[in-house]
Amino acid sequence: MLRVENLSKQFKGSRGSSAKTVLAVNNLSFQCKPGEIYGLLGPNGAGKTTTLRCLSTLIKPTSGNVFIDSYNVLEHGKVFRSKIGFLTSDMKLDGYFTPDYMMNWFGRLNKMEDDVIQERKSKLFTDLQMTDFIHKKIDKLSTGMKQKTAVAISLIHDPDVIIFDEPTNGLDIVTSKAVTDFLVSRAEAGKIIIISTHNMTIAEKLCHRFGIIVEGEMKEEGTLSEIIEGSNWDNLEDVFFSYILPGGDHV
Amino acid sequence: MFKDSFIILRKELKRMFTDRRLIFMLVILPLIMLPLMYSFMGKATKTRQSEISEYTSRIVVCTALGSEESTELFLTSLAALNTEVETINSQSIEETQERLTSKDVELLIVMPDNVDDRLLENEVFDLSFYHNSTADFSDFAFSQVELAFAAVSEAVVRERIIEGGMSEEILSVFTINESMPAESYDLATEGSIMGKIISMMMPFFIVIYLFANSMKVGLDSVAGEKERGTLAILLVNQVSRLSIVLGKMMSVMIAAIVGATSSAIGLKIASRYLIGMYSDTGEAIVEYTMTSTALLQFAIIVIPLAILISSLVLIVSTFAKNVKEGQGMIMPVYLAVMVMGVTTMQIGDTPPNWMRLAPLFNSLVVLKDIFMQTAVWGNILFAVATSLLVSAVLIFAILRMFNNERVLFRV
Repeated sequence: MLRVENLSKQFKGSRGSSAKTVLAVNNLSFQCKPGEIYGLLGPNGAGKTTTLRCLSTLIKPTSGNVFIDSYNVLEHGKVFRSKIGFLTSDMKLDGYFTPDYMMNWFGRLNKMEDDVIQERKSKLFTDLQMTDFIHKKIDKLSTGMKQKTAVAISLIHDPDVIIFDEPTNGLDIVTSKAVTDFLVSRAEAGKIIIISTHNMTIAEKLCHRFGIIVEGEMKEEGTLSEIIEGSNWDNLEDVFFSYILPGGDHV
Repeated sequence: MFKDSFIILRKELKRMFTDRRLIFMLVILPLIMLPLMYSFMGKATKTRQSEISEYTSRIVVCTALGSEESTELFLTSLAALNTEVETINSQSIEETQERLTSKDVELLIVMPDNVDDRLLENEVFDLSFYHNSTADFSDFAFSQVELAFAAVSEAVVRERIIEGGMSEEILSVFTINESMPAESYDLATEGSIMGKIISMMMPFFIVIYLFANSMKVGLDSVAGEKERGTLAILLVNQVSRLSIVLGKMMSVMIAAIVGATSSAIGLKIASRYLIGMYSDTGEAIVEYTMTSTALLQFAIIVIPLAILISSLVLIVSTFAKNVKEGQGMIMPVYLAVMVMGVTTMQIGDTPPNWMRLAPLFNSLVVLKDIFMQTAVWGNILFAVATSLLVSAVLIFAILRMFNNERVLFRV
């Protein structure tokens, strides 16, 4: 079980801006069970990536906490990292190496034995249909191939919690399907999956529970039917836009 | 922790030693560039020196009333030199000065009036030499004629002494070391004579080579990874940030040592060309060999020095947002290290005490001692200890930066 409790993150204001501080995430709470895919929805700048970065230990929450079972992000950073696989669109791989080399390297950094790495590699390469390009330099790969490689690397240690920020962003329809199918299969295998996205179609199809974040605050949280029942709309996209479009019910 | 550092180091080294462009910059370029550069400079210097020495200087002598006989005396001495002499009278002085400015002639000598009588009466007179200090040939003619005329003066004095019935030996009171062969009175060992010349410049070259090669790899090591977005994926894995810092620091240090070694080999090859420029230095490098003790001392001092320099580069690389910003930030540090190198070039055999205490300075001073084969183990160990201590402080500061999201992600 993953639990986010009253998570807030405040940054110092940038030079030249009038605000001394910026509250990027404000008192956010949600939880996610094994086998569940949780979709964090929100426009650009809503605080989705900041939330996910707090979950991944890359940045520290200003207040609140995140728990995976009995471990919390503030005190058990290393254990936390062993339990999560994290990927954002701004995380890139060193283009000089091949996917195969990078998988071995990250496997070793995650304290895995060589035979376990080989086994895990072979499964991920097959599941993500990567076998054709594992010995090519990452620099020479297409965007889709690079994204598949990044997904495989982030999951080399078979984490219990998979956190992906915009996992299908910029991908063609075939690669996008390969990635989403893979996430569904991981959820079916009992993993906790948290994704952020703007793509309502993918979100509706993929996620079991949703959180709509606007300006750092959780506006709606629950299953698709729970969210729609509590609104004047009959689909997720309209509920989402009601929070962000001028003239929307909640704007 | 160290296992992870070595995993990171192995990847960094694989990147370094399989990247043809980096290998070229780090290893091949110094091996080619230094001999090429020094051979070009040596050849240019030699050509210029022979051009100047073979040049026929155009000298104008302005005669004066009552100086006819003595002028002949000076003209005879000029005839022994490679000169073309023209005589004028006082009315042409201004015109000749203009010719000097426009480099048409190299030297104008103006004789005063009545030199013939002044010579007979042992009266001192003043000769006026006009030259153009911005023209190499004029400068050379000036110094050549000055020497020739000094010989004339000495001959006249000798003649006066003999005419006065005295022995010309009155001119000297004593001589120094003329009764001994040179090797019997200079008690320095051959190694230390060579080492004295080498020690002047090698510490400077070593620190510059270490720094320059650290920069080639170190700035990209963290700032480049931040810029490309490849650092974050490493940070969300189970590796500690100290392991990342140590792995990267070791890779920068190895790059610095490999690059500096290549540059030192390039310098050794280039040394034969240096002979043309600064003959002592070139010969010293060609002939100089280090004893096994000196080599051991050298290794003991250079490795901590490389760690210190790598840590300096890495702290800038960690703080910078990208490689370009890092390049701007590292320049003042590079200049400061260069100034330290130049300062140690200028000090004599006994450096001031503060230099032995100050980190980096003390390593340079000890390197000087090692090349002169006068190094003391106490000084070596103290320099090693201070380098390692400062490196540890820098690594601690880098680690703090790695735990500071504002520095690492500029949020």
